[in-house]
Parts: sequence; structure tokens; C-alpha cells
Amino acid sequence: MSKPFNPFEMAQAQFDKVADILDLDQGTRDLLRWPIREHQFAIPVRMDDGKVKVFRGFRVQHNDARGPNKGGIRFHPHETLDTVRALALWMTWKCAVVDIPLGGGKGGVICDPHHLSMREQEGICRGWTRQMARNVGYLQDVPAPDVMTNPQHMLWMMDELEVIRGHKEPGFITGKPAGMGGSLGRTEATGYGVIYTVREALKLLGQPIDKMTAAVQGFGNVAQFAVQLFTKYGGKVICVSCWDNQDQKTYTFRKTDGVTYEELIGITDKFGTVDKVKAKSLGYEILPGDAWIEQDVDVLIPAAIENQVTGDNVNRISKKVKVLAEGANGPTTPEADKVLIERGVFVIPDFLCNAGGVSCSYFEQVQGNMNFYWPRDEVLAKLDTLMTGAFHGVADLAKTKKLYTRDAAYVIAINRVASACRQRGWV
Amino acid sequence: MTTPGDNSIDLMGLLFERAKELVCLYQVQDLTADTERTPDEVFRDLLEIIPPGWQHPDACWAKITVESTAYEPPGVTETPWVLRSPIVAAGKHIGAVEVFYDRQFPKADEGPFLKDERRLLDHIARRVGRYVTERRQRGMLRNFRVSMQQAPADDRREWRVIIEFLRRTDPHQLRRVSRRMINYLVWSGVAEAQDLLKHLGANQRDRDRSDENRPIERATVDALMRVTNAAFRMAANNLSDDEIVHVIEQWVKDDKVGFLVEAGENQGTSLREIADALETFQQMGFGDKELSRSVQLGLRVSLVRRFLTDDLEYINTAKNYMHVADFCDIVQRVVSPIGSRGKLGGKSSGLLLAYHIVRRSEEYADAIGAFKMPKTWYVTSDGLGAFIDHNHLQDIHNRKYLEIDQVRKEYPHIVQAFKNSDFPKEILKGLAVALDDIGDKPLVVRSSSLLEDRIGSAFSGKYKSLFLANRGTKRERMVALCDAIAEVYASIFSPDPIEYRAERGMLDLHEEMGLMIQEVVGTQVGRYYLPAFGGVAFNNNEFRWSPRIQREDGLVRMVPGLGTRAVDRLSDDYPVLLAPGQPGLRVNVTPEEVTRYSPTRIDLINLDANRFATVLIADLLKQYGSKYPMFKQVFSACDEDGLHPVGGFDWDGSTENLVACFEGLAGNTPFLAQMRSLLRVLREKVGGPVDIEFAHDGTDFYLLQCRPQSGSGDVAPMAIPRDIPPNRVLFTARRFVSNGRVPDLTHVVFVDPVAYGHVADLEALHDVGRAVGRLNKALPKRQFVLIGPGRWGSRGDVKLGVPVTYSDISNTALLMEVGERRGGSMPELSFSTHFFQDLVESDIRYLPLYPDDEGIVFNAAFLRDAPNQFAALVPEYANLASVIHVVDVPSVAGGQVLKVLMNADQDEAIGFFA
Repeated sequence: MSKPFNPFEMAQAQFDKVADILDLDQGTRDLLRWPIREHQFAIPVRMDDGKVKVFRGFRVQHNDARGPNKGGIRFHPHETLDTVRALALWMTWKCAVVDIPLGGGKGGVICDPHHLSMREQEGICRGWTRQMARNVGYLQDVPAPDVMTNPQHMLWMMDELEVIRGHKEPGFITGKPAGMGGSLGRTEATGYGVIYTVREALKLLGQPIDKMTAAVQGFGNVAQFAVQLFTKYGGKVICVSCWDNQDQKTYTFRKTDGVTYEELIGITDKFGTVDKVKAKSLGYEILPGDAWIEQDVDVLIPAAIENQVTGDNVNRISKKVKVLAEGANGPTTPEADKVLIERGVFVIPDFLCNAGGVSCSYFEQVQGNMNFYWPRDEVLAKLDTLMTGAFHGVADLAKTKKLYTRDAAYVIAINRVASACRQRGWV
Repeated sequence: MTTPGDNSIDLMGLLFERAKELVCLYQVQDLTADTERTPDEVFRDLLEIIPPGWQHPDACWAKITVESTAYEPPGVTETPWVLRSPIVAAGKHIGAVEVFYDRQFPKADEGPFLKDERRLLDHIARRVGRYVTERRQRGMLRNFRVSMQQAPADDRREWRVIIEFLRRTDPHQLRRVSRRMINYLVWSGVAEAQDLLKHLGANQRDRDRSDENRPIERATVDALMRVTNAAFRMAANNLSDDEIVHVIEQWVKDDKVGFLVEAGENQGTSLREIADALETFQQMGFGDKELSRSVQLGLRVSLVRRFLTDDLEYINTAKNYMHVADFCDIVQRVVSPIGSRGKLGGKSSGLLLAYHIVRRSEEYADAIGAFKMPKTWYVTSDGLGAFIDHNHLQDIHNRKYLEIDQVRKEYPHIVQAFKNSDFPKEILKGLAVALDDIGDKPLVVRSSSLLEDRIGSAFSGKYKSLFLANRGTKRERMVALCDAIAEVYASIFSPDPIEYRAERGMLDLHEEMGLMIQEVVGTQVGRYYLPAFGGVAFNNNEFRWSPRIQREDGLVRMVPGLGTRAVDRLSDDYPVLLAPGQPGLRVNVTPEEVTRYSPTRIDLINLDANRFATVLIADLLKQYGSKYPMFKQVFSACDEDGLHPVGGFDWDGSTENLVACFEGLAGNTPFLAQMRSLLRVLREKVGGPVDIEFAHDGTDFYLLQCRPQSGSGDVAPMAIPRDIPPNRVLFTARRFVSNGRVPDLTHVVFVDPVAYGHVADLEALHDVGRAVGRLNKALPKRQFVLIGPGRWGSRGDVKLGVPVTYSDISNTALLMEVGERRGGSMPELSFSTHFFQDLVESDIRYLPLYPDDEGIVFNAAFLRDAPNQFAALVPEYANLASVIHVVDVPSVAGGQVLKVLMNADQDEAIGFFA
């Protein structure tokens, strides 16, 4: 406990491990361990009281060998360069694993929107864009919403860039509302993406999806659409767990003959809390929040928050479970990973499993560049193709190189980036 | 409640009698106010009007004698069955009004006459007396003007005309006018007037000291005339004619209102008599501004004292803003027992003062915008006493001295006893008039006790306020109103206020309770009746969610519908908080926060069910949608993209994801700017911070209440002791301090910022959050403080603050964030924005600590070195014992506990062992 936790060092250590597997040369390692460019700048903003306050802005572009950088912009009062670097690194690998032609980036501003009016936030967005205008754009670097930023912030940034450029450039930024350059299918993208990979995993294991059962942790955006698509494929989701706003705890809602998205959404309030009374009357059993993990099912989908499958509870997972699909970010701890490997559970790692979101972002950018927008089904069909391809890339590698799927995903991603650098003659 | 009809009082009969009396009274009033008719005509018409007001009109006739003239119907003969009342004008008996029955009737209260008929006749006689007085005064003024006009041009400018006129008509008044003229000249700096003053008064200073015990010689009439002549000669030399005429007119008017001055000053007069005097004043047709300043202020002060309060600070402000005419309006809506000398109570006084201050602050009219006060009736504070006496419940007064458990046990019985009691007839009558006036609009009965306006003891919410749908027949509405009043009356004997008063040494004070019967501000939406929004606003913001918000920026707590949900802390819902001085800063920023912390329920009146109700906003909107008043201002649609306006062309009509966040109101209307001006004006004129209650019916903004923002109990500013030995001080704070105290902390949970910063493992950082959650359950509720680095509940980078949710800290009494300088930069603290509203509603205090600031004490070493209970309490996380310290305060501080006192006025706080 002597050294403080540093996310960037952690990301580098992860890279180093994969670099050893890939036997990368020192030059490639040196290039990929660090961002290729880092921008740090001041954003002076005229505040509501007439005074000027200067905010610190960042943009870290980790690697653009495979295409323009892509990554969110965060507004956070304690933003640090190391956090932003780590997140930019992970964006490079995430884009590479689903094989979309983008690099990784991340940016942010040190500020707390709780202490800023909307007008002041607009000032920050426009100021950020003015400082970065020469280094961003649909062919250079494409930002997106992140912590405490939303589509409104994206539109202010797009508008400022278009004023500077003197022309329209909807592909500059993603996460825009539909009708203002946003893509249809965005809401479903992550949840559907999870199930596309689950479907392929079951296919690989020779299990018919319409005979399969699943337990889902969470009932937010990702979980809801995962439930919807899984049941549409004929599978049976027997439980979801979710946060109860009144009781300030989670419950698992179980119905052994299968839950449906429509039924559950009908008794869920806008806070995401399922009505216990109505659930009971619809035949749901109400179990403790962590009961989802011990269900006798074929597929487990943790789609809520990080650190849910741990050394403590991994052994409660039923012997029947064949696939664990990580809809959430980092739901499985390293101790749990060890047990899952031993037991031969097929784990679909988070940055592949939930890459539907970033893929849809890419589609939004492509549509913006063409200034031609696809119908929802077309977006989702393209997403299916992309996710399916990405899944098999990882699965094949895991099989041929006898790697744990999580490692295989990193290996394939980093290898793609390293190879692009080599082909360009950078290393 | 016993219905009035079931018991001794026949409500319908009573109402009928009242109607007869009222008709009679109104006609007498109209007639005597008619300046066109001659007195002869007036008196003759009165003979017609009076008999129908009596129980046996057919057998009744009236006679009026004024000076030596008698008026009576032709062919009548006087009988022994007579009721007589003298007519008094300018203090002299000048005649009588008599009512005769021409045959015998059964004996009633006074011969065959009723008690009420005696009152009616007295009232008529008083009116006739005043009529005669006014006529005389008008005549005098007219004569004066005529003689002025008729005099030759040169003489008209001479003092002789004036003096001559007054000498002829009213020598007493001439003397008063002369004396005032001399004083006026002295004040105007006319030196000779000083000599005259000496001459007039046989000035004390001219007398030998040895003469002190000898009476002063009386000046002769001639001497007085000489002084008068001299005074007006001097006036003519020093003042313009216009000025002389102006001051004389003013003094004559001052003289004319002598009856009102007398009524107000004489503590023996009843409110009814003052009300009559006010009515006469009103008929004189001039405002108090036309009186001399001293008379004007004297009148206002006496009226404030009689109707509102004896509080000097209040009087000092009120006399500048509340005119005599305002009291003329107020008395129209006062219900009081016979011979009442009560007051309207604290809540009424607060509202009336605020309303008139703002109304008369014309210079701010544009900044504040239009506003109204709802139609309000007042029941005087002695109404409660009259009610108790009427029902022989006097023994109840001593119940407050019982043990509090006993009080608690007896209270339900008191409520029932009150509800099953009758009201004095006079009060019933008054309430019936009030109901006629309010009609079938919903109403609220609010307590307005005398203790409520005492600075430093805000009885907020201690006494009841009850809402009535006020639907049904008049009789049903009357029964419901009486029932509600009985319940509000009973609340004065409820355990909470008695305990509260006992704690503050106010038990022995005689508590009386006035009432406000107020029309509920609102509009009908389907079967519901509700305002668009309601809430409370404070000058001082004691719940700042951002360091950019100053205390003076104020705070608004508002909700859709009735403001009841904003007044009280809610355990299951959240009002919207806004700072008028920082209109752009929101507590909730992300769509998730806005959704989570927006109100979900609404208080309103259900007209069908005839009662106050709480319903889900979502259900209300599903049914009525954009029919909700100020729909666009109150609601926004919220999705993952953020907030969107509703009600416009782009809105799809769906009410699924609507949130009541008031974005339209705050962002697109001058509401917050106007609220800021309103609060500022009130603070400035009242001379201290206030809190107000308000509502908006969709068309108009209404002020409902106003009182000093004293902060009571645990949110009052605490005196910071200076003499605590350093070894007993755990910390001091001097930035962003709110008011309050946390007197009894037995445990300190200290997450060491240094050790936390060195945790290398992400999982271990999350474990710190989980361990705090366990402690939250293990430690005594509201008796421990959480002290930790940076931002509690950090959702971004967990290094910067312990990752907890509200449920992990829900039992703490105080949440402290330590902002220690690291590598030259000061971290920005969260101000607990992640669960700010949860803290506010649960009354968990928040305090930021900046140990690096000069002069700040933070004894972290004590917390690190004291025996750590952590591993014993949460053994499963024993490995974190170097990061989390739990100190059992009494065991290390010799039985003492940790006491935290916070004072926002001084921006200072201290935590010490005591």
C-alpha cells in the first residue's frame, strides 16, 4: 500500500504483459506504452459574474496508426493526465478489437458542472474546441460524450468547429441527438452487441440459443436490450437484478418460465426501479440482490457495475453456466478470472462484449461524413456483422493460441495496432 | 364535531337572524353615508329601516330624537316596551334612538328584546352620533371656505379671516390651532415665536425654583386671544398664505380623527369599536397621508399594537408601510368574540407586513413584478379563549405542566373534546360571513399564534395547518370549517410545541392562537385543485451545494402543487432547490441526477373526494398532461441526452419521461431574478433575513407567509466558544460553514487522506467504501461523524474520494470532507453534490475542512493514534485498519463526547470534546 493507485501504470502493465506474448520489439513497446501526442491548454471563460476563470483542458491522442483518434471528453473536477492517458490507451485497444479503423483518444476539462451554469459550460465547450480546432476533425480526432458531458455539449463543440472551419462537419463529433447528426440504433447498440457475441459464443459451443437460459445482473440500458434480443432469439431470461431506489438496495426478480422485456419495462419507473408489488402479482419471485449469480442457467450476463464477480462469490456460479458475457465494464476481478479459467467457462471479455456502443459511434461518424443516414435496421445489421466478425477473430485466436479469451482480445487488438505502425514504417 | 344544527344552535335560524341584522346595518350605513340628503330626510328614512331588523317587525316602531327635534311615525303612542340608546356627538348627549313594541311579547334578554337587538341598537345610535358630528364638521369646513371666498381679496390673505372663523365656530379648536402654530413657527426657526411660547405657557424656566409646588396661573381668555393674534401675525410675516392654509387644514383634519386616536390608544376599547371608528375614518374620504406626520404615525402605531403585535422592532418597521386604510381593509375580514381585545397573531402579522412592504416599495416594483396576497380572513387570538370558556374547558390550560408523556397520552382526547364542542355564536356568525366571501374555493386554516412572531422561536410546523376542499352545501362547508378550526385549536396543546416551549423556557407565557382562513391559491385541473407550484424561499442559503454560492444568494425550495411538500423535509421525495443569486447553478446536472432528485409526488386538493391528497405526479400527468398550469415552466422531458422543453411544437405529447425540475421557469422567465429582488427588499426593510412561503396559480404569484429567518433548533447559528483548551479541540473550520450543531457524537470515522492516497489497488479503494457502508450499520445512528479525503461518493476517479452511495452513509450525523493541499494544488471538494439532496432531506450536516488554511486546527494525529475500533467492528476488512480509523470518543476523552458547533454568520465551526 505504499504507492498510490495509478491507472496509467496499470494500463501500461497490462500492455507489457501482452507485449511479451506478442514478443514486440522495444521500439514498438516504447511507442505504444505512451500516447503519441498530448495536448494541454488553458480555456479562459467569462463567468456569469463577469469575471474570467481559466480552466485546464486536455486531449490525449494515444495512437492513430489505424485511423483518426476516437474517445470521450470528460468534465471532472479531479481529472488527471494519467487517468486520461490510461483511458486513451484502452480506447485504442477497444477500437482495434472490433476492427474499426480508428485510434484511441481521450480528453477532458478540469471542472465540476455542478458548480457551473449551462452558459458557462457552453463557454468551456467552445473554448475547448477553439484550442483544439487544428488537431481534431473527422480525419484527425473524433470526440464523444463521457463523464458529465452529454449531447448538448457535443452540439456546442460541433457548432464552434463549424464556425471556425466555415463549413459543416457533422462527422467531427459523435453522441449527437438523432436528427442533428446522431445515429439511429444508438440506444440498443450496446445491449444488442452483447447478445450478438453471446449468440456466436453459443454457436461455437454447439448450444442452440433457443434452448438456453440466462440470468442478467442489472436492468439499465444495456441489460434491457440484452434481455429483449436474447428472448427474441428464443432464449429464456429467468431473472434480472436491479437497484431499488426506495429501499436503497438491489433485488433479483425471478420468473423461471421466462421474463420479457415488455413485461418488465411496464413495471419499471423512470429511475429503473422495478415495482415489487406489481412484479409479485405478475408471478415474479423477489430474491436478494446477489441471487442472480447462483441461478441454474447457461449464460450469465453481468450488465450493471464493476467488480461483481469476485473471489468470494465466483464459486456460487452454477456448474451449468457455459458463457459469461461482460456487458458491464470490469465486472470480473482477477481472482474470479482464475476460477473461471479453471472451470472452462467461456468469458466474453468486456471490451469486446460491450463494444456495440463504440461501434455505433463509428457508424454515426461514417453517416455524418456521407451526410447520409441509415434506417435503424440497417445500423443494427451492420453492427451485427461487425460484432460477429470481431467475436470470431478473438475466439479463433484464443483457440489456436490456447489463450484465455480476455488475453486473446488484448493480443488481437494490440497486434493490429502494432502491425499498423509497422506497415506505416513507424517502427 | 357536533353539527351546530344538532345542538343548541339552530344554524339556519341563526343565519336568518344575522341576515336581517346585516340588512338593517348596511341600510343604516348607506343612509348615514349619503351626503346629498338633508338630516331630516335621513332621520325619517331611518324610521322605516330600523323595525325590520327586530324580532317582531310588525309590532315595532322607532323614534329618533336629535337635539330638540323628535322624529317618529305618525299616530304612534309610546309604550313601556322600549329599548333606548343615547346619541352622542363630540362627547355630548344630544338625543336618543328608541325602539318600541306596540304590544307585549314574552320576556327575553332585556324585556321583550334580545341581546343582539341591544347591540344592534347601540350600533345604530353610534352611527347616528357620528353622522351628526361629521355633518357639523363638514358644515364648519364649508363655512370656512365660503368666508374665505367671500372676503375681499386683500383680507382673504389675512389671518383675520381664519381666526375670525374659528373664533366664531370652535374656540377650543382655535386654541389648539394657535398652540400648534406657535410650535410650528418655533420649529421653522422664527425667533420671536420662542418668546411667545414662553408667554403662552408661563414657561417653567421663568419660574423661581421655590415656586415649584405652586400651581401655574391660568392664562385668561383675553391673554389667549392676544397670543393667538400675535401668533398669526407672526405667521403672516414668515409664512406664505398657502402654507398657513395648508397647515391649518391639516390640523383640522388631525382634530377630526381624534376619535380614532382615542379608540386606538384606549386599551379598553374592543376591536369592534376600533373597527367602527375605522369605518368612520374611511367615510371621511381622506387617507392618513393628509394628516400631520405625528398623528399619522401615532395612529398607525396604535393600530399595529391593537391588531398585530407589541413587538417594538415590528412596530418600528410596520408604521412606515402599513397605512390606516390598510387596517380599514383588514377589519372587514376579522372574526372575533364579543368585546374582543385579541390580536391576529404572528403568522398574520408577518404576512401583512411583508405584503405591504413590498407593495409600497414602488422603486422595486419592476424588479419584483406583480404579486398578490390570497383572500384571507382572520380569527383573533382570544377566539380560542372564548371557545374554551364557551365549552367550560378551562382546566385544559394547566395541562402543559404535566409530564410530557402524560401530555402525549391525553392529546388525542383533547382533540376529540375540541371537535365535539360548540363555537360561540359571534364566532359562528363571523365564520359564516367568511364562507360567503370565500365561496366554494378550497381553503386552508392556518394557526397564527402570538408566540409565532417571537424572534428566535420559529414555531414552524409545530401547530397545525389544515386544508379543506370546501365543497358541499353551506352547512356542510361550515361544519367542515368548524371541525378544522377545533383541530387547529387543539394543536396548541399537542406534545411537540409544549415540549419545544418547555425547552426554551416559554411554557409560562400565555399562548393564544389566532387563525388565518385563507383561500387556497390554485386552479382546477379536472377533479383536482392545485397551484402550478408552491414553496419557500430564504434570504440565507444554509444548504450551499457549490462554493460559488454565497450565503446571501438565498435558497428556494419548491415543488409542483401545494407547497406543503417544500415546507417539510421529505423522507421519500425531493423538492427542487435553486439559489436566486446564482440562477445558473443547479444541484443536479446529469440526466440521471435530475431524474433521481426530482419530485415524484404532488400535494393537491381532490375536489371529488373533498379532501387534501397526495398523488403521483406521473399519474396526474398521464391523465391531464399539458392541462397542468404552467406546464412548460414546471416540467421538462429528460432522456439520456439531457433536458428538453415540453408543451411546444416539438413535444410528442408523451408524459413518460417528464421531470418537474422547473427548468423552464428558472431558465426562461424572470422568476428567480424577481424572487431575488423580493427577498432583498424584505431583508432590507425588515432589517434581517426572512423566509417566505409562496404559490403560483398559473396566472399570479402569491405571497402566503413571511417571518424572520431565525433558524430554529439545530439549524440556528451557534455561538463559537473561544475558551476551549487546545487539547480539547479536534478541528476548526472557517470556510463554507452552515448553521447548526451536532451535540452528541460518540464515534469518529476517519478515512486517513494520506493512507487512502497510498492505496495502490483499485479493489482495495472500493473496499474502503464497502467498509464505510458496514460501519454505517454498526455505529449508533446520528451519533458518528465521517471525515474523509476529497469527495465522498466520488463516481469518477475513486482515488479522489471514498466511493460510497447514500445508503452507505445514511446514518451519519455529519459528513466532513478534508481538502488538503497536494503538490501545490488544492483539491476541489464535492460539497457532497452526489447525494446533496439526500443529506438535506435527512438533516445530515456537511462541513468542508481545509487544514492548510492559516489558523485552522485539525488534530489528525489524535485520530491516528487513538485506539482503533475499526477491526473489531468490521473484521472482514481488518486489512484496511491503517486507512480507516474508528475512534470511540467517550473511551479516549474521559467520558466526553464530540460536540460540533457551526455558525454561518461568522463562517466558523469548531469540533471539541465536552
